[in-house]
Amino acid sequence: MLKYAFRRILGMIPMLFLISIIVFTLAKLMPGDSLSGEIDPRNTNPQYIQEMREKLGYNDPLPQQYFRWIGNFVQGDFGKSTRFKIEVSEVLSERLPNTIMLGLTSIIITYILAFFMGTYSGRKPYTFGDNLIGGLNYLGLSIPSFVAGVFAIFLFSFTLGWFPSNGSVDIGTTEGTLEYWLSRFHHVLLPALVLGLLSTASYTQFLRNDIIENSRKDFVRTARAKGTPERKIYNVHILRNSVIPLITFLGFDLVAIISGAIITETIFTYPGLGQLFLQSVGTRDYPVLMTLTMLFSFLTLVGNLIADILYGVVDPRIRLD
Amino acid sequence: MEIVTQKDTNVKTHPPKKSLSPWAMARRKFVKNKLAMTSLIFLITVAIVSFLAPYITTADVSRINIGQMSLEPSSDHWLGTDKAGRDVFTRLLYGGRISLLVGLSCTLFVIFLGTLIGSVAGYFGGAVDNILMRFTDLILNFPFLVFVIVINAILFGKVNGLWVLILVISILSWGGIARIVRSKVLAEKENEYITAAISIGCSPAKIIVKHLLPNIMSTIIVQATITFATMIVAETGLSFLGFGVPQEIPSWGNMLNSAVEPDVLQFKSWIWMPPALMITITILSINFIGEGLKDAFNPKSRR
Repeated sequence: MLKYAFRRILGMIPMLFLISIIVFTLAKLMPGDSLSGEIDPRNTNPQYIQEMREKLGYNDPLPQQYFRWIGNFVQGDFGKSTRFKIEVSEVLSERLPNTIMLGLTSIIITYILAFFMGTYSGRKPYTFGDNLIGGLNYLGLSIPSFVAGVFAIFLFSFTLGWFPSNGSVDIGTTEGTLEYWLSRFHHVLLPALVLGLLSTASYTQFLRNDIIENSRKDFVRTARAKGTPERKIYNVHILRNSVIPLITFLGFDLVAIISGAIITETIFTYPGLGQLFLQSVGTRDYPVLMTLTMLFSFLTLVGNLIADILYGVVDPRIRLD
Repeated sequence: MEIVTQKDTNVKTHPPKKSLSPWAMARRKFVKNKLAMTSLIFLITVAIVSFLAPYITTADVSRINIGQMSLEPSSDHWLGTDKAGRDVFTRLLYGGRISLLVGLSCTLFVIFLGTLIGSVAGYFGGAVDNILMRFTDLILNFPFLVFVIVINAILFGKVNGLWVLILVISILSWGGIARIVRSKVLAEKENEYITAAISIGCSPAKIIVKHLLPNIMSTIIVQATITFATMIVAETGLSFLGFGVPQEIPSWGNMLNSAVEPDVLQFKSWIWMPPALMITITILSINFIGEGLKDAFNPKSRR
C-alpha cells in the first residue's frame, strides 16, 4: 500500500511542475506586473516602470524568472496585493478560515443527508419514498449550483426569512462569544447546502445502489438463514460494506468544493477565497489572482491524488496496474 | 400434402422476419421511453422556437428603453421587461438561441477532440498512448472554472467574442471523453475483425474511422448528450459570473446575472425566474434523454 501511495505521489511531481509552468506563462501574459505586485499600476511613467522592471529582474531570461518565482512561491512569498497593498499571504490567511468552514460544513451536511436518504432508499427500493428521493436526486444532479443558489436565496432568505442572504457573520457580534459562532454557523448553512447539493445527490445514489446490490449477496442470505434480525443485517452487515467505498469520493469533493466555492461564495457574497478570486479579476489584482490559480490547481491535483490513493485502499486490485 | 404446400407458399409470401439491427432495437426502446421522448420533444420545441425568434417576436432585443423599465408581466410584455426596459420574453428566445448554440458547438468540438485523441492513443498504444494520456491527465487536472476565468482576464479587451469562449471551454474539457474513448478502443481492437482489416492492408486511419468508431458510436452518443448538458451549464455559469458570452449578447446566463442585485432577486422575480427555469428544465430534459439513450443502447436492459 505504502509503495503504491508513494508511486502516486512521485507521479504527481512532473504534473505539478507542468502546471506551475503554465500558470507562470499565464501570469507573464497578464498585463502589468502579476508576479510580485511591486510595480504600482497607477504610475504610468515609463522610466519608473523601466527601473522597477530592471530592479525586479523582469528583463532576465524567462527560465531564470520562473525559478526565482517558484522558489519564492514554495517559501510562501506570493508577492504583494496591488489592491490591498499588503502581502498576498496575509490577504489569503484572512479569507482562508471562511472557505475551510464552508467546505467542512458542506461535507458534513452532504454526509448526513446522503447517509439517511441513501440507507432509506437502499432498504426500501422501488417504494414511494425511494422514488421521491430518486426524483430529488435527479433534480440535484441537474440543477446548476448558481441556479440553485439564486433560488435558495429567493426562497429561504427573502420569502421565508430563515437564513441571511449575505456575509459570513452578523455585524456587531464580538469575536469569540457563543453568539458569534452561532451567527457564523447560521450564515454558512445555506451556502454549504447549495455547495453540497451535487455531491449529496451522487452519494445518495451510490449508497442506494450499493446497498441494493449487497443485499443480494451470499453473506446476506447466510445471515438471514441463521436468523439474524433484518435490522441487524442492514445496519451492520450491509452498511459496513457499502459505506467504505464512499470514502473514495472525498478526493473529488475537494475538487468540487474549489470550483463550487467560486460560484457559491459570489452568489452569497461570502468572504472566502472563491469570492476573492473573482474580485481580484474585477479589480485587476493579478498577484492575488495568480496565487489563487496556483493554489486551486495544486489542491485539484491533491484532490485527484487522494481519490486515486483511496481507490487503492478500498479496492486492492487497482494497486496492481 | 396439400396443407404442407400451402404452408410453404405462406412462408414464401411472408419471408421470415429479419431480426432488427442494433440501431433499430435502440430506436424502438428509446421511442417507448416516455420520459426521454417527452424531453426530446421539449428540447426540439425549445430549439425551434429559439431559432425562429426573429419571426416570433418583433420587439428589439438590444434597444434600451428608459420609458419601460422593470415592467411587470402584461399583455404587451408577456414576461415583463428588465431593468433596461427590454422585453424579457424576446430576450429569453434570443438567449436560448445563444445558449443552445454555444452548448452545441462546444459539444461538437469536445467530442471531436476527445474522440480523435482517445482513438489514436488507444489504437496505436505504446509511446503515442503514453504521451497523449499524460497530456489528457494534465488537462483533467486543471480546475476548469479557474482557468477559463484567468484566460478570460488575459484576453480581456484584446479578443472578445463567442468563438473565443467556445474554443477556450472546449480546449479545457475534452479530457474525460478522450479517456472513455481510449478505454473502449482498447477493448474493441482486440477483436478478430480488426486483425483481419490490418492483414488485408487497411490504413490505420481507415481502421479507426470505418471499423472502430462505428462500434463505439453508442458510447460516444451517450457521452455527447451528457457533454451537451455540461456545456450548457458551463456557458450559463460563466455568463452568470460575467466571464462568458459578452454582456451585450443575450444568453440565459447573462439574463440570470441580473439576479445578483438583491432588489431584482427579491421583488422582480419575472426578470430572473424565466431564464433560471429554462436552464433547469433544459438540463433536466437533456439528462433524461441521456439516460434514455444509455438504456436504449444497453442490450441487457429489459424494456
